[in-house]
Amino acid sequence: MTSTSLAAGGRRRSARAMLAGLAFASMTALAGPAALAADTTTIRVLNWEPGGADYWKALVAEFEKQNPDIKVELETVPFDRYPEVQGPYITTKSGPDVMENNAGLELFDRRRAYAELPPEVLEAGKDLITYSGGCLNFDTTKACYGLPFGYQGNVMYYNKKVLAEAGLDPANPPKTWDEMGAACEKVKAVGKTCLAIGLSGIFPAYWDFPEIARNYLTEDDMRAMLAGKMPWTDPKMVNILKGLASITEKGWTNSSAPSITMLPDGADIFQSGNAAFAGTIISDAVNWAAFGKVLGDENLGAMRWPTLVADAPLANSFSGIESSVFGVTSWSDKKDAAFKFVKFIAGKENAELLTKIAGGISLNKNVDPSVMPKSQALSQILEIIKTPTLHAGVLLSGQEADALARGWQEVALGRLSVEDWTGRMQKALEQSPSKRQ
Amino acid sequence: MAETANLATAPNRMAKRDPRREGAAGSRRVFIRKETLIALLFVLPGLALAILFKLVPLLRGIWLSFLETRGFEDPTFAGLANYRTMLADPSVHDSFRNALIAFATLPVWIVLPLVLAFLLFQKTPGWKFFRAAFFLPYMIAPIVVGIMFRQILAPDGPLNAVLRAIGLAPLAIEWLNGPTSALLALTAVALWSFFGLGVLTYLSGLSTVSEEVVEAAKLDGAGFWRLLFHIIMPLLKSVIGYWAVLCTSGILIWMFPLIYALTKGGPGTATVLPEFLVFTTTFQFLDRGLGAAIGMALFVFVAIVSAFVVRRMYVEGAQKK
Repeated sequence: MTSTSLAAGGRRRSARAMLAGLAFASMTALAGPAALAADTTTIRVLNWEPGGADYWKALVAEFEKQNPDIKVELETVPFDRYPEVQGPYITTKSGPDVMENNAGLELFDRRRAYAELPPEVLEAGKDLITYSGGCLNFDTTKACYGLPFGYQGNVMYYNKKVLAEAGLDPANPPKTWDEMGAACEKVKAVGKTCLAIGLSGIFPAYWDFPEIARNYLTEDDMRAMLAGKMPWTDPKMVNILKGLASITEKGWTNSSAPSITMLPDGADIFQSGNAAFAGTIISDAVNWAAFGKVLGDENLGAMRWPTLVADAPLANSFSGIESSVFGVTSWSDKKDAAFKFVKFIAGKENAELLTKIAGGISLNKNVDPSVMPKSQALSQILEIIKTPTLHAGVLLSGQEADALARGWQEVALGRLSVEDWTGRMQKALEQSPSKRQ
Repeated sequence: MAETANLATAPNRMAKRDPRREGAAGSRRVFIRKETLIALLFVLPGLALAILFKLVPLLRGIWLSFLETRGFEDPTFAGLANYRTMLADPSVHDSFRNALIAFATLPVWIVLPLVLAFLLFQKTPGWKFFRAAFFLPYMIAPIVVGIMFRQILAPDGPLNAVLRAIGLAPLAIEWLNGPTSALLALTAVALWSFFGLGVLTYLSGLSTVSEEVVEAAKLDGAGFWRLLFHIIMPLLKSVIGYWAVLCTSGILIWMFPLIYALTKGGPGTATVLPEFLVFTTTFQFLDRGLGAAIGMALFVFVAIVSAFVVRRMYVEGAQKK
C-alpha cells in the first residue's frame, strides 16, 4: 500500500466518519422531539368542572407540575347535560381516561365503565373523612371505583337583606315548616319570591328531595331505597311527595318554577336579590362563596331546611355525600397515569386548592384550617355538617329522578294529584334497571 | 311424428339465422353487460355505505330492542318485553300524541315560507334585506336558539314585555308552563329557526317560473293570493312536495336540540317527542333495550307518515306524465 492510497483511504474513512456523524446527528435531532413526546402521556378527563374554571386550571397546573410526564386534557360538560355526553362514551366503551360521576347509585350504575381502584390508589382514601360513596353499596370493603375530594350536601341559603325588608329577623331564620310559611307570606307581601326554585332536570331529586326525605326516613329506610326495597306506595315515601308538593302548593316559589332549571335559572333569581331563600349545595357551584360574591358575604346566611317533623330522627341532620368522585375508565390504555390523577384528586394539595380557590369544603383531614376563608355562611355550614346522614338524592335511579321532577312540575301546575304522582314514581322504580329485584 | 317435424324444421331455423344480426346482438349483449357493470360500479359505493351505516345499525337496533339491559351490564334476551313495556308506558303515548300535535302545524310549515318566498320573488320593497333576514335564523345553531328563546319566553322576558307594552297583557302568559302553550311555543321556535330554509327552497323553485306567465296572470286581473294559489302552487307542486317530506321527518328530528335547551320535555311530558324519549331512555335511564324499542316505533311512525306524503308526490308526478 502506497502513502497516496493510505492518504486516500484515510480521506475516505474521515469522509465516512463525517457522514456517519451527520447521519447520527440528524437522527438524534429527529428522534429527540419524538422521544420527548413518547415520554409524555396525555390523559383525557371528562368532568363538569366542580368548583369552577379557576380551580380546575390550578388543579391541572399543580398535577402537571408534580407529574411532568403526564399532560391533562379536560373535556368539560355542563352538569345538567353530563349524563347525555357520558352515556354514549360508556355505551361505545371509548373516550376519556378519567371520568367524574356523583357518588352513590349514579356511580354504581356505571361501574362497568370503571376500573376497580388498586390498593395503592385507595391509600389516599385514608386521609379522607369518608370515601364510601365511591365503593359498591357504600361499603369500603367492597370494590371501589372512584375517589372523592370535596364534601357535598344540601343547605338553604337566605338573603338577610330581603328578610329584613320583609320585616323578618335575619338572625333567626325559620326553623319549622310553619315558620317558613309565615315568613313566605311576609316576603311575598314585599313583592319578592320566597323560595327560588327550578323543577326541571335532576335538581329536584338531588337538592330538594333529600331535605324532605330526612323528615320521614331512617338510614335503614334509605338503604332499602338503594336496594329497591322501599316502594313509593309506602306511607313514608308518600309523605315525602306531599311535603314537596306543599312547597309549590303554598305559593312559596317563583311561578316559572315548573319550566326552569335550578342551575342557572333558579339560582339566578336568588343571586339577583329577588328571592329570600334558595335550596342549593355547600360546595362546588352555587355555594356560599358564589352567592357571597354577588350578594355580599354580610348579606348571606346558611341554614338547614326547615323541618316538617320536628322529632324525626334525621330532622336535624345534614344530607351529606362525598361530592363527585373520579375514577379510571375500564377502556383506558393509560391506566397508570389516570390512577395517578385520581390519587392526586383525593390528596392534600388538591384539597387546599379547593378550599382556597373554589371555597369548597374538602374531605381531606389534613387541610390547614388557616386557608379557610372567613365567611359567616361558611361558619354556619361547618356547624350544620357536624351531624351528617345519608344523602337520599343519590339513591334515586335515573328513572326515579326524572319522574320526580316531571311529576312535581305537573303537581305544581295543578294537573296531577300526589296519588297519581306516587303511581308514576312506583312505575319508575319498577322500570329502573339498577333496582330490579 | 312431432320429433320428425322438429328435426325437419330445426335446420331450417338454423339456416334462417343471420350471422350479421347475431353479431350485432352479441355486441349489444356485451355492451349491456358492460353498461350494467359500470352502473353497478357506480352504485356499489353508495350501496355499501347504505348497508354499513343504515341497514346494519337498523338491524342492530331491532336486535337490541329484544334485549333486556341492566345499566351497562351484559344484556339478556327478553323477547317482546321491551315492546310490552313501551306500549304500557304513558310517557311513550304522550310523546307520540305530542308528535301528532306538532304534525298538525305542517300546513303552516309549508305555506308560510311559500308566501314569503313569493313576496321576495315579486321584489316587494326591502326584498333584498328580507331575503338575508329570513335565512339568518337557520344559520344559528338550534341549541343556541333554544337558550335564546328560554330568555325570550320567560314570564318576565322580552316577548311578554312587548305584549304588555302594546296593550295585549292578557296574551302575556307563562308560555313554557302550560302544556299546550309549551308545545306550540316549541313548534313556533322550530318554525322560526327553519323557515328560512323553506324560503330558500321555494325561491330556487320560483326561479324556474316564467315571469311572462306571472305577468299574463296579473294582466288578467289576478291578485296576490289568486296568483299564489292558482298559478304558483300548481307550478311548484314538486318543490312543495319535496319541502313537505323534509318537514314531515324534520319536525321530529329538528326539534330535539330545541327541546333539550328549551324545555327538557317539560312541564311533565308536555314537550317530550319520541326522539327525545329514545335519548333519555337510552342514555339517562341506561335502558338501551327499551330505548331501542321506542326507536323502532319512531322509525315505523316516520316511515308511515313519510310514505303517505312521498306516495302522493309520485301519484301526482305520474299523472303529470
